[in-house]
Amino acid sequence: MVKTKTNTEDYLRMYRQMMRIRSFEDNANQLYLSAKMPGLTHMYSGEEAVAVGICEALKVTDKITSTHRGHGHCVAKGANFKEMFCELLGKEQGYCRGKGGSMHIADQSNGNLGANAIVGGSMGIATGSAFTAKLLGKDDVTVCFFGDGATAQGLMYEVMNMAALWNLPVIYACENNGYSEYTKTEEIAAGSITARAEAFGIEAHQIDGQDVLAVNELTQKLVARARKGEGPFFMELMTYRYHGHHVGDINREYYRSKEEEKEWKENRDPIIKFRSWLVEQGIASEDEIEAMNAEIKKDAEEAVAYAEAAPYPDQSEVDMHVFTDVKHALA
Amino acid sequence: MPHEVIMPALGMTQDTGKIVSWLKSTGDPVKAGDALFEVETDKAVMEVESPAAGYLTDVQAEAGADVPVGQVIALVSETAESSDTVEKATADTGGGDETLLPKGKAVIMPALGMAQDTGVIVAWHKGLGDQVAAGDILFEVETDKATMEVEAGVDGFVAALLAEVSEEAPVGDTIAIISAEAPTHPVQRSISDGGAPKPAATPDSAPKAEAKKVPKPAPAPKPGGKAPAVNSPIKPSGGSILASPKARRLALEQGLDLNRLVKAGHPQPFHVADLEVLKAMPVQAVEAAVSHSRRLTANLLTDGFAEFAEWAAENANLNDASALLAGLVAASLGHDKATIAVESFGQSRVYNVPVGAFSNITKTEEDTAPDLILRDLRMSRVSTVRLGAENAPVLTLTTAKGGVCITLECAGHHLSASKSVSLLSEFASRMEQPLRHLL
Amino acid sequence: MREITLSQAVNEALAEEMRRDETVFIIGEDVAEAGTPFKILSGLVEEFGTDRVVDTPISEPGFMGLAVGAAMTGTRPVVDLMFGDFIYLIMDQLCNQAAKTHYMSGGKMSAPLVLRTNMGATRRSAAQHSQSLHALVAHIPGLKVAMPSSAYEAKGLMKTAIRDNNPVVIFEDKLMYNDKAPVPDEEFLIPFGEANVKRAGSDITLIGTSSMVQVCEAAAEILAKEGIEAEVIDPRTIVPLDEETLIASAKKTSRVIVVDEGHQSYGITGEIAGRINEKAFYHLDAPVLRMGAMDVPVPFSPALEDITVPTPEGVAENARKLMSGEMIHAA
Repeated sequence: MVKTKTNTEDYLRMYRQMMRIRSFEDNANQLYLSAKMPGLTHMYSGEEAVAVGICEALKVTDKITSTHRGHGHCVAKGANFKEMFCELLGKEQGYCRGKGGSMHIADQSNGNLGANAIVGGSMGIATGSAFTAKLLGKDDVTVCFFGDGATAQGLMYEVMNMAALWNLPVIYACENNGYSEYTKTEEIAAGSITARAEAFGIEAHQIDGQDVLAVNELTQKLVARARKGEGPFFMELMTYRYHGHHVGDINREYYRSKEEEKEWKENRDPIIKFRSWLVEQGIASEDEIEAMNAEIKKDAEEAVAYAEAAPYPDQSEVDMHVFTDVKHALA
Repeated sequence: MPHEVIMPALGMTQDTGKIVSWLKSTGDPVKAGDALFEVETDKAVMEVESPAAGYLTDVQAEAGADVPVGQVIALVSETAESSDTVEKATADTGGGDETLLPKGKAVIMPALGMAQDTGVIVAWHKGLGDQVAAGDILFEVETDKATMEVEAGVDGFVAALLAEVSEEAPVGDTIAIISAEAPTHPVQRSISDGGAPKPAATPDSAPKAEAKKVPKPAPAPKPGGKAPAVNSPIKPSGGSILASPKARRLALEQGLDLNRLVKAGHPQPFHVADLEVLKAMPVQAVEAAVSHSRRLTANLLTDGFAEFAEWAAENANLNDASALLAGLVAASLGHDKATIAVESFGQSRVYNVPVGAFSNITKTEEDTAPDLILRDLRMSRVSTVRLGAENAPVLTLTTAKGGVCITLECAGHHLSASKSVSLLSEFASRMEQPLRHLL
Repeated sequence: MREITLSQAVNEALAEEMRRDETVFIIGEDVAEAGTPFKILSGLVEEFGTDRVVDTPISEPGFMGLAVGAAMTGTRPVVDLMFGDFIYLIMDQLCNQAAKTHYMSGGKMSAPLVLRTNMGATRRSAAQHSQSLHALVAHIPGLKVAMPSSAYEAKGLMKTAIRDNNPVVIFEDKLMYNDKAPVPDEEFLIPFGEANVKRAGSDITLIGTSSMVQVCEAAAEILAKEGIEAEVIDPRTIVPLDEETLIASAKKTSRVIVVDEGHQSYGITGEIAGRINEKAFYHLDAPVLRMGAMDVPVPFSPALEDITVPTPEGVAENARKLMSGEMIHAA
C-alpha cells in the first residue's frame, strides 16, 4: 500500500474517531452506572470500525440514519462531545435540547437524520432521503445503519424493493454484532442476510466490521457508484458489541460466554488492530498514539464535567417544538 | 486519585442493590474488570467489576446491606492504604421507617358535632417540646360547623405533634402526645406523609423517577350536602334542586330563589325557561328581617344534675338521664309542651315533654324539628363553644372548674333578649339544684 | 360561481401546488395512470410525469416511511393512502416517526408531508373499507388533522396543508367525491384552526365534521320548520381546533350537539363536548350531546350499515329533546 501525506491524515483521523467513540462510551457507561444519567442506553463499544469506516467515506452533505445504539454513528458523522453529553443528561445545550436523549441523539447539521428507537424504524426515512436526492438531482448518498435484529422487520423488504426499483442512492449497512437484543442472530434470522438484499437484485457484500480500512475502502467504492445512480447497495458488517444489549445487561452468560467476549476484545478489537498497523507502517509512534489517547480522554472528561454543570431546559420548553409554526402548543 | 466503586444502576426500575458478598477484601490488589462483589437487584444476582486497577480500600457497605444506586461503596486506590475520603455509607438496613413515638398521653381529635367524621387543625397553640398545663389551649379545630379551642387535658410536655395545620384528622385519631417528662426525641409528622417521619433530604441526582414520588395530597374535605339523586326526574322538596348550570347562574345573578319553584311543584330539572315562571310568581312577604345571633353563658360552681339523676332513678324509676335533662329544659322554657333534642356522645334523642310529671316524657322520631337543642359536652375536652345560631336555640353544657358552664346560642328571632336571659337563668338554677325546683 | 366536484377540487389543489413548488410530489398505490380507484388524480401524471406522481408497490408502511425521509430532506410529499382503514398499517411511520421528528430533534428537523386519505361509511364496503379513523391521529401530538366538508374546503385545506411545515392528515369523505359545491376560479387558501359558521341560529348549536356538516344542515332545516333556530358549525380542522368559535356559540345558544362519523366512544364528539363542558359550563342549559358512529365494526348489509351513522332525523330528534328540557338518559 502506497502511503501519501493525505492518506496519513486520513488514517490518523480514523484512529482518532474510533478512539473518541470508545472514550465517549466509557464515560457514558460510567455516567449511567453512577446513576447520573437518566433512562436507558446502549453501548457502541466494539463496533467502532463500522461507523468510522463508513462515515469517513461520506461527505458532510451525505445523510445517515442511526439506531438506538447510535452514539458511535453520531461521533463518526462529526458531532462534538459537549453537545452529546448534554443530550445524554437531558440538558438544554444537547443536540436535541434534551428532548431526545441517548436513543435519539443526532447532530442534525452534519447530515445525521436522527437515531431511531424503533428497531428498523429508520429504513423508510433513509430510503426517502435517497428519494429526495434523486428527485431534486442532488448527488447525496444516504447510509442506513441498522442491526441484524432489524432484518426481521417487514419495512426493510418494502423499502429495499422500492429502492431497487427506482435505483435510489442508499446503502443499507447491517451491523451484524451477532445478537438481536438477548438472542443469538442465528436463532432469529433464517438463511443468509446478504441473500435477502440479493433477492431484490441489490448488490450485497459481507465484510469484516473490525477492519476499519476494509470497511472504508468498500464504502468509498459503493458511495461513488451510488452517486452515479448505480445504487442501492447492501453491506453486512461482521462486528461485536462488548457490552450487553443495554447498560445493565450484565448477567448475560445465558446467551453468550465470557470466553467469546474475551476472544473478541483481546484478538479482534478494531482499535488495537488498527493501532498496531499504524505503528507497523510507521504512520505514528506509540508515543504519538498515547498522546492522542490522553488528549481524547481529557476532552471527554471535560465534556462530561461541562454537561454535568450545564442547566436543564426551562420547563416552558415542554410544549415547544410540537409544531413548527406554534411556539407553545398548549398556550 | 482513587477510583470510586459505585452501586450500579442495573435494572430499569431499580433504586437500591443488595450486596450479596464481597469477592475481594480490603487491601486486595485488583485489576480493571475483576469481579469485586455480587449484587442482587430485583432481577438477579450479578457480579460487578472493578472500574480500574489498584487496591480495594475504604469498603463502606457489608454483605447484606441495601445500598442506593449511585452511592460510593468502596475505592480502588493506588496503594492498599485507606484514604478515608469516603463518608460511611448509610446503608438502609430495613425497618428503620417505624421510628418509635415518645411515651405519654395521646391527645385525640375530639368528636364535636353530630355528623362529624373529621376535624381540621386550624392552629397549634403549643410547640414541640413546650410545657403544658391541663387547662392550656393546645389547639384549635374546625368542624363542619365552627372553630373551637381544645385544651391539653393533662399536664406535661408536647412530645409529639402528628398532624399539621390545615390537615384533616379523623375523629378518634391520635394527633399529639403529651409526655410526663421533657421529651428527648420529640416527633413531628404530618398526616399527608402517612405519619411517617419526614425523610432526610436526598442528594441531588438525575431526576429519574421523581414523578412517582409526588406526595399524596391531603384528603379533600367531604362535601357537606347529600349527593343529588340524579335518576329521579322529580325531586321531593327539601333535597337538592335539579337545574341546568345556566339556570342556576342566572338565578344567582338575578336573586331568584329556585326553592320557590320547588314549593310550587314546578317539574324539575329547571332550565332557563323556568326562570320566567319563577319571575311571574307573586312576590312573597319579605322574610323576617335579618336576625342577629345571641350568645349567653352561665357558670355554675356545682353541677347538681348527677345527684338528681341518681335520686330519680332510685325513687321514681326514671332511668333516662337525657329525658330528665329534656324535662329541665322544657320547664325552663315555660311552654305547655315542648320538643327537646338532647345530643350527647354523638347521639341525638328527641323528646316530647308535656307539662307535669317527668314520667310523661316520651321519646319521639329523630327527625322531628325540636323547639330547643341541648348539647351535652361535659364529657369532652371542649371548654368554650361559639357555634353560631342553628335552626333552634341551643343550650351547650361544658365542664368548668369543678362545675358546669352553660352556653345559650340562638338566632335573634328564636328568642327575644329578655326571653333568652330568663331561659338561661331558669335552666342554670335548675341545673344547680334540680330537686328544689321540682319540689 | 362555478361548481365542481370534491374530486376535481382536490385534483386542482394538487396541480396548482405542484406547479408552484417543484419539491411537491405524490406517492401511493395506483396514483399515476390509474389516478386512484376514485379517479381523483386523473391527468396529473400527464402533466408532472412519473417522477412526481409515483406509483408504489402495495407497501403502505414502506412508502409512508419513505415519504417521512423525503420530507425531512427537502421535499413535500403528498402520500395517497387508498383507504383510511389502512392507516393502521402505517401507524409507526406516521405517529412514531413523522409526528415526533420536530420535537425529538429539539426543533432542528421537521417532516412537512401531507397524508391524503378517506373516511365514511354507507358505501357498502364492510368493516375494513368504511372506517372513519381521524380520532386516532388527532390523539397524537405533532399531527394536524383536516376534515373538508365540501369541494370548497377540500381545495382550500389541501393547499394550506401542502404549504404547512408539519405533517398533516386530510380525511376526505369517500361518498362526497362526486358532490358539487361552488369553488372560486381564483386561488384561495383556508387557514387551519378557523371554524366556519355555516348557518346562524340562537336556540341550539350543531357542530359537525366532514359529511356530518350536511347532516347538521339538514337537521337545521327540519328544526327551522318547527321554530327552532339551529346554528351549524364546521370546525374544518380538528387539530388545531377553533375552540373560540365553538365555545362562543355554545355560550350563545346554551345547547350543543356534536356530530361526527368516527366511533362515538373516546372520539372527536367526546373531545369537543369535554372542552365545551370545561369552558362554557355555566352557560349550558342542557347536557352537551355526542352523536358519533355506532360502536360496532361497520356492517356490510345496507339494512344494518345505514343505522350506524348519525342522520338528520336523529339529530333533529335529539335537538327537540334538549329544547324541551327533557331529561336525557334519565333512568
